[in-house]
Amino acid sequence: MNEQLQHIAESVSLLIPEVIISASLLITILLGLTLKTNKHSILKFISLASYSVSIFLLFQNFPDKPTILFGGMMRVDEFSSYFKILFLTGGILGVLISGPQKDDTSAEYFSLFYAVILGACLLAASLNFIMVLLSLELISLSSYLLAGFGFDKKSAEGSLKYFLFGTVATACMIYGISILYGFAGTLDFSSNLFVTNSIALTSPLLLTGGLLTLAGFLFKITAVPFHLWAPDVYESAPTPVVAFISVVPKLAGIAVLTRFTLAINLFGQSGYNWHIILAVISLISMLVGNLSAIAQTNPKRMLAYSSVAQSGFLLIGLVTFSIEGIHVMLFYSAIFLVMNYLVFIALNQFENAKDQFDIPSFAGLGASSIIPSIAILTGLLSLTGLPPTAGFTAKLFIFGSLWGSYQQSGELILLVLFVTGLLNTVISLFFYMKIPYYLFLKENPGTIKSQKIDFAGNLLSLMLVILLFYLFINPNGLMGWINKITFVL
Amino acid sequence: MQHLLSYLIFTPLLAAVIALLIPSSQKNFFRVFALGASVIQLVVVVLIMQAYKHHAGIQLTERFSWINMELGQWGSMQAEYFVALDGLSLPMVVLSVCIMAIAVISSWTINKSQKGYFILLLILNSAIIGSFCALDFLLFYVFFEFMLLPMYFLIGIWGGPRREYASIKFFLYTLFGSILILIVIIGLYLSVQDPTSAPQLVHTFNVLHMQNPENIIPGSVLSVDSTNVLGPYSFRLWAFLLLFIGFAIKLPAVPLHTWLPDAHVEAPTPVSVILAALLLKFGGYGLLRFAYPIFPDSAIYFSWLVGFTGLVSIIYGALNALSSKDLKRLIAYSSVSHMGFVLLGIAAATVEGIAGAMYQMFSHGILSAMLFLIAGVLYDRTGDRLITSYSGLATKMKVYTGFVLVAFFASLGLPGFAGFIGEVLIFFGAFLSQQTNGLIPGWMAITAMLGLLLGAGYFLWTLQRMFFGPYAVKVPAAEMNDLDQREYVMLLPLALAALFFGILPQTLLNYINPFAQEFVESLFLAASFINP
Repeated sequence: MNEQLQHIAESVSLLIPEVIISASLLITILLGLTLKTNKHSILKFISLASYSVSIFLLFQNFPDKPTILFGGMMRVDEFSSYFKILFLTGGILGVLISGPQKDDTSAEYFSLFYAVILGACLLAASLNFIMVLLSLELISLSSYLLAGFGFDKKSAEGSLKYFLFGTVATACMIYGISILYGFAGTLDFSSNLFVTNSIALTSPLLLTGGLLTLAGFLFKITAVPFHLWAPDVYESAPTPVVAFISVVPKLAGIAVLTRFTLAINLFGQSGYNWHIILAVISLISMLVGNLSAIAQTNPKRMLAYSSVAQSGFLLIGLVTFSIEGIHVMLFYSAIFLVMNYLVFIALNQFENAKDQFDIPSFAGLGASSIIPSIAILTGLLSLTGLPPTAGFTAKLFIFGSLWGSYQQSGELILLVLFVTGLLNTVISLFFYMKIPYYLFLKENPGTIKSQKIDFAGNLLSLMLVILLFYLFINPNGLMGWINKITFVL
Repeated sequence: MQHLLSYLIFTPLLAAVIALLIPSSQKNFFRVFALGASVIQLVVVVLIMQAYKHHAGIQLTERFSWINMELGQWGSMQAEYFVALDGLSLPMVVLSVCIMAIAVISSWTINKSQKGYFILLLILNSAIIGSFCALDFLLFYVFFEFMLLPMYFLIGIWGGPRREYASIKFFLYTLFGSILILIVIIGLYLSVQDPTSAPQLVHTFNVLHMQNPENIIPGSVLSVDSTNVLGPYSFRLWAFLLLFIGFAIKLPAVPLHTWLPDAHVEAPTPVSVILAALLLKFGGYGLLRFAYPIFPDSAIYFSWLVGFTGLVSIIYGALNALSSKDLKRLIAYSSVSHMGFVLLGIAAATVEGIAGAMYQMFSHGILSAMLFLIAGVLYDRTGDRLITSYSGLATKMKVYTGFVLVAFFASLGLPGFAGFIGEVLIFFGAFLSQQTNGLIPGWMAITAMLGLLLGAGYFLWTLQRMFFGPYAVKVPAAEMNDLDQREYVMLLPLALAALFFGILPQTLLNYINPFAQEFVESLFLAASFINP
């Protein structure tokens, strides 16, 4: 008993960032009830402070060896700490661009941000199906609510759709987990017991269980065929929220997906080729995402489909089933965070200044709001994967790892994925360039209202633009750090 | 003087950054500033010419480590900032600097958002020169891609009525080509190791290492002994095909040329000049620098295809030019035809053929720039480019007609002008090929002669329709003044260069020939190493 208490106390001490976030969550709710004036700015400040402190602590105590917490529920290691830093950075950026909320709901708004990030941090460290489920639901429930923060009919519809899809995906996942549990006799998917029991099995139910479980994760990362909610939610939710939920839950999903697929692949001894399954999902995510995005006229819907395609690219790192592939996926994740936020920050600025919001209405705005236009151009180029932005470096690395993996295994599907993935860049250029096309090439038919210049937003996006250029010129720093991350299942 | 090449590459980029900080109300400042950057580049080029020695292989080398990353079980990856000049790139770099300076002068009359225009022009300048100097495949690719965006905006914002369509078509086409090249780059670097770092496995993008078949890792997909096949071809053959298609789009070769007439017709005059004189050269340059030396065995295997594509481009381009009603479209198709000669020369893979292809690229750089400037002169005055709208211009615009005569006759390959030397060398090479290496059949060379005939046809016919006969111009209010000083300054050096390199070809051949000799020698040496 005493020993167990000791273990729990030790475990908690390694989760200080999560503790800080939980504490801030409670404080925010309390302050939301008591504060009368300046509520938004005070709460915003608290959010930023707690995220920054958490990031600082994570850097300070970056784990050099993995530690198992709570008797096998979670593991704090470099992999999860890296993702936690990304989530918290995503949180900071999301909070920074959030304006005052309607009807005095700032406290609820910020506490939901905390909840998503808390869930993401726990999810990245989870080793146990129960823990996975709990943290995944924490993320999901909070994001359903956040999606409804436009407080209009559309927003409510988006939120409800998100919720319905989400619950079905969760139900699938629970069903899958229960099958896997039945076979393996353990909920801890990193344990030897799970592996040895599953290797012994040849039942196709193992495949079913694995696929159903994947459904829950694929829903989180908006991969095809679980992407259908994305366009509606992206279109209707407030832009800062979209920026946030297009990055943080997705990366959390990628983190847990990595751990899970490596477990279900059983160190390559699985009777089923998860290689091919993931490769196919990645392939159709890219194709469906990019091809659907072409027809969109609403920028946020377009970015929803682009986000589907980006999931496909992220999955490539996983498809290789190699430590190098996972490393470049971590790199891609960081770049994705920056470039996606950059696009949404600029989009947010445009949205705030206009009543109408489809791509043709951007016509001729390039001259009047030059900094947001350049920011969105850089972000979109980076998403396309063109030099001189870090998106190019990330794509280069990820396709390099895919080719390396093909060279070793000689599986044709990898070559197909390689060629189709790269050619997808051309398709994606077509729709990504639509926004710059209207911004710079088209002339505005009417008179352009002079916009108020958003200094803070401009500064933030300029910083991200410079970061994208910097990571292109010198990826060695970040990549060198990632390369030190030892990944153990 | 160290780092001469870096000065050359980064002067315009630095100028672009400075220009970015200057308020756009300073309208006339930007063009002077851009011209200043070009003047500095011209000075640097003179220094480079002094430092360059004819027979010494690659020179003025600068090498720094750029990306260095561990790949675990796959060794490590290494990309460098590696720039240098040799007989292939030096003429191209000199040409680029001169053409960019002329393009700035030609842009003097641009009125619409000058700040953005000149910044894009400066960025484009850096990217072009960087691509010609880079000897690291990744670095080349980065510069190469970096050209697309400025070009997209230059056509898309400052272009003609259908500029939006033309610019996105240009962007998509060239990006498609680049992606094919990128596929090969990724495949290559994982198949090539740096010999200097043995026994450690270091993958490199260094083009010189890639060109040596001994550096290809045994057992890799692109290795010489690889048994991997995909459909009818091995991976090495596929890789060459991808590079060939990628660069043929840029060249452009028929049937991948359709972006070119649109882009040329819609682009403003200076951008057309850059596009024709410099960007098209990357097709030939890429084949000579990357595709042929890295995959010599595949290149020899596909030489018939390369030659035939060249032949089709020559004839088809010329026929299209003959039927064009728009002067710019005519020049665009004449470019397709002339670049076909480059392909023919490369396919022959004889010293004459390669030297001829390089000479043709250089002379076409001068002549196409001149032709587009000539079209621009008319367009500036009337806003009309239809050939049938003009007649008897020679009576009103005497000096102009003189320059037109020079440009047209030089382009149709009249002896005494630069175009003649290139074409004649290519024909020597193509005819010799059947007897010496047997790569392309003699009938290709004979049929290509038809291109010369057609070329003479469309140029002379245009001359007759537009410049001779009674004076008439369809646009009523237009004042058909003769050349002003600015136009004179642009056209005169080009006309003199066309004449100079036609009369004294040895000045240029001194640089080209050592490269061509070594190129052919090592091509067959490497091919026989691979297929003994």
